[in-house]
Amino acid sequence: MTQTTQTTHSPAVDPTADPHALNAMLNLYDEDGHIQFDKDHEAVDAFLAGHVRPRTRRFASTAERLDHLIAHDYYDAAVFAAYTPAFLDEIHMRAADAGHRFETFLGAFKFYRSYALKSFDGEEYLEDFPQRAAAVALALADGDEDAARDVLDEIVSGRFQPATPTFLNLGKAQRGEPVSCFLVRIEDNMESISRGINAALQLSKRGGGVALLLSNLREAGAPIKHIEHQSSGVVPVMKLLEDSFSYANQLGARQGAGAVYLHAHHPDIMKFLDTKRENADEKIRIKSLALGVVIPDITFELAKRREPMALFSPYDVEREYGVPFADLGISAHYDELLANPRIRRTEIDARGFFTTLAQIQFESGYPYILFEDTANRANPIAGHITMSNLCSEILQVQEPSTYREDLTYDHVGRDVSCNLGSLNIAHAMDAGLAHPVRTAIRALTAVAEHTRIDAVPSIRRANDEGHAIGLGQMNLHGFLAREGIRYGSPEALDFTNLYFMTVAYHAYVASHELAVERGRAFAGFEDSAYAKPAGAGNHFDKYLDGSIDIRPRTEHVAELFAGCGVEVPTADDWRALQRAIMRDGIYNQYLQAVPPTGSISYINHATSSIHPIAAKIEIRKEGKTGRMYYPAPYMTDDNLDLYADAYEIGWKAIVDTYAEATRHVDQGLSLTLFFPDTATTRELNQAQIYAWRKGIKTLYYIRIRQRALEGTAVDGCVSCTL
Amino acid sequence: MAHTALIDRVTAINWNRLEDDKDLEVWDRLTGNFWLPEKVPVSNDIPDWRMMSDAERTLTMRVFTGLTLLDTIQGTVGAVSLIPDALTPHEEAVYTNIAFMESVHAKSYSSIFSTLCSTAQIDEAFSWSEQNPHLQRKAQIVLDYYEGDDPLKRKVASTLLESFLFYSGFYLPMYFSAHAKLTNTADVIRLIIRDEAVHGYYIGYKYQRGLELADDAKRAEMERYTYDLLDELYENEVAYTHSLYDGVGLADDVEKFLHYNANKALMNLGYPALFPAEICDVNPAILAALAPDADENHDFFSGSGSSYVMGKAEQTDDDDWDF
Repeated sequence: MTQTTQTTHSPAVDPTADPHALNAMLNLYDEDGHIQFDKDHEAVDAFLAGHVRPRTRRFASTAERLDHLIAHDYYDAAVFAAYTPAFLDEIHMRAADAGHRFETFLGAFKFYRSYALKSFDGEEYLEDFPQRAAAVALALADGDEDAARDVLDEIVSGRFQPATPTFLNLGKAQRGEPVSCFLVRIEDNMESISRGINAALQLSKRGGGVALLLSNLREAGAPIKHIEHQSSGVVPVMKLLEDSFSYANQLGARQGAGAVYLHAHHPDIMKFLDTKRENADEKIRIKSLALGVVIPDITFELAKRREPMALFSPYDVEREYGVPFADLGISAHYDELLANPRIRRTEIDARGFFTTLAQIQFESGYPYILFEDTANRANPIAGHITMSNLCSEILQVQEPSTYREDLTYDHVGRDVSCNLGSLNIAHAMDAGLAHPVRTAIRALTAVAEHTRIDAVPSIRRANDEGHAIGLGQMNLHGFLAREGIRYGSPEALDFTNLYFMTVAYHAYVASHELAVERGRAFAGFEDSAYAKPAGAGNHFDKYLDGSIDIRPRTEHVAELFAGCGVEVPTADDWRALQRAIMRDGIYNQYLQAVPPTGSISYINHATSSIHPIAAKIEIRKEGKTGRMYYPAPYMTDDNLDLYADAYEIGWKAIVDTYAEATRHVDQGLSLTLFFPDTATTRELNQAQIYAWRKGIKTLYYIRIRQRALEGTAVDGCVSCTL
Repeated sequence: MAHTALIDRVTAINWNRLEDDKDLEVWDRLTGNFWLPEKVPVSNDIPDWRMMSDAERTLTMRVFTGLTLLDTIQGTVGAVSLIPDALTPHEEAVYTNIAFMESVHAKSYSSIFSTLCSTAQIDEAFSWSEQNPHLQRKAQIVLDYYEGDDPLKRKVASTLLESFLFYSGFYLPMYFSAHAKLTNTADVIRLIIRDEAVHGYYIGYKYQRGLELADDAKRAEMERYTYDLLDELYENEVAYTHSLYDGVGLADDVEKFLHYNANKALMNLGYPALFPAEICDVNPAILAALAPDADENHDFFSGSGSSYVMGKAEQTDDDDWDF
């Protein structure tokens, strides 16, 4: 069987044309003031014809190709040995015949630059997109032919796109872990700090972002061995972590990347924020480590009442309460902490804290914000959420570990690894939604079951016990525009609510099915809100007590669901599911998390996550691809008015959209806020207050856009015109 | 003891009494755009640097030493020489900011060097810049006019430097950035371009205001002078470009880029374009990257971006906290 190669749609391609120049023409109007969409298609053709095809290794048949790749240690023999040669032939045919083509140059370039299997010398391509999809599907299906076909169809059709580490790694012999991200607690002792640094190194080596919790560390000036003024606080630990990540990134295929979270009421909070100041001293400047701040409800209350905000010594709190600072719940204990003379505190101005927060965000985009009490109220699992991850969509309970002096584990706690993948909303709707969701949940569960992170035993334990996954979504803005709906309009909010509810329903159905098949639920199910009696705090009560709209609010959206053949679950459906789950449990401790979908939305040609577009022609800059131009999906010169960008749409419509989705998502959603440079810190604060009031769990980056001063702009540039 | 007063009286600068609104607009933009090279993780470019050919590395270092030289002139002589000619006290203040930021730019190249190259390589590149006749000539031409006694001529020289002479050097990092090389270094350069675009525009604008006060004869003289100086610099710049870029085959495209930016500099000075559009058709990948808007949607994991600005702090009031 010969390998089908990508077919081009234009007969004559000039292979000497510079695809980068053609791509850049997207950002320059033609003489008639039109966006040159066709130039980007020409860029794809020129890239495939001029660069990819001459460097693609040819094989006479699938069998020959696989034999070669396995024999030369490119493919993982065990993955392919689980299937017959006839089936391997069939599935590669199926992949090639699916008619995949790259819609944008950025998508094609990114795929070949970052995902496709290359020869060890980097000179030859050994895979195209369908072949990559086939390898991933075969690895996930573990010998089950039907499952392999199912997963392949979802990926190659663009309905389901596994996250980068999964899509990049599976099937390859030389690979990192298929896991997107990790969360690791650090406790207030040197053993735990050492283990945290070790985790940063080990996990970066394997790929994936790592977040660490700093809230429990004693503050600068706290006693060590009862001797006062000894501790240096959190900043030196941040420096150690930043260096660890940049060291590991020199060896890994992917950039090592890390985040640290600190509680707003930790005494080092202002020093923590100052590390991102434009004029920070080199000794304390943090360049590449991401920062997150955990803010409880009480901070907002204090600011409202113009009361000072007390910062409490984690060292004293842990001694008084016997629990780590981060696990206490500051809102519930605030008055008590304030009244306790054995707990040292310093006071800062609460409103001033928010102003400083916004200032730092203007200068650096950081910190992320985790609304501690909101996230915990919505969390169905017993325990306290203390942190999030590098993209602020993972929210899971953890458990501290304890160590012996030689750094071995005295008690293995629980930390987090999370496997992500996202549905393209437009394609999933077109296919009826239920099947793509079910297949995606199974595929992500397979990633969890294949993962054993022995380097960090607390991660391995939690993954073995909980099989937590994170199903995400992308292309909301693209889908809405295709359907003639404006982002942020009543129809758009109605759609978002019903879409996420329907996804949640099918995700729970699939996880329940898995629990029945495997004969067990995730560990700790009986203590979760899923096991509580109906009407007494059960997780699904919200669908049955009238607190959420479960029917379409607008005619347009009702027609949209009917037209796609997507049935919206009814109260009866929810009731039946609730009963079934109370009886059998679900297999996955967590199911959904909506990541920002950077890379994968470009190769899939979707709009990122459920954000509005950053620009009609987005200028994308990444280390591995350089500066490139990306057109929004389904956009033409005739429907540009449906493509208002995130800066034009404004923070309110974005928060409203996320609020609709948030109540159906058990973990978090990465929510970036976009501001013109003319905004002030007060507007950022207003957006944060609004988001907190609307029940948003986390806020991700702040992005700032500055227009060139009139008179200094480049003429005829698409991205420069409003 | 006899002493001569340097100035007759001191007038305190009052930003609430503006004679020219442009001063405040530009001041706000420049201060909001304050940055230091330390914020950009240039070390993330080390793997790219190692993958580049020797020719590319040498070219990069030479380009950057050339830019360092220009920024040194502009920071220590150029922008400072404009201060005595300022028409308003606010204009003086803007020049002090420009002078300072030019020194920041000069230092950024050093910070890129020290991250990517060895001391021996750096020394070699600097000694090249001291010996390259075209670069030295360029510096000398500009310096001569800065030291001359005509305020308008100084502004022309300064605008040509900011809007024209820098760009033969800027071409390279933009070219690399479009081809996914040295993207963090490119972030530094974007920050510099963001500043230079405003500098060239502002000095050109002040030149036009100054020209309004001149008589017709002076205006005619200035126009002739501008085109003559541009010719002189252009001829030298073409030779400089070839001495740099011939080895990597980019000289022709850089030449088009010179035409484009020469026209832009003339526009800033209020004069018609010199080069026809046919010979300004710069590689679209470079042209599209030239826009000084801070609107790159960067990936935070591989860089810190070039779009952040100093925030304007504004206190929240009770209405904001009304929940």
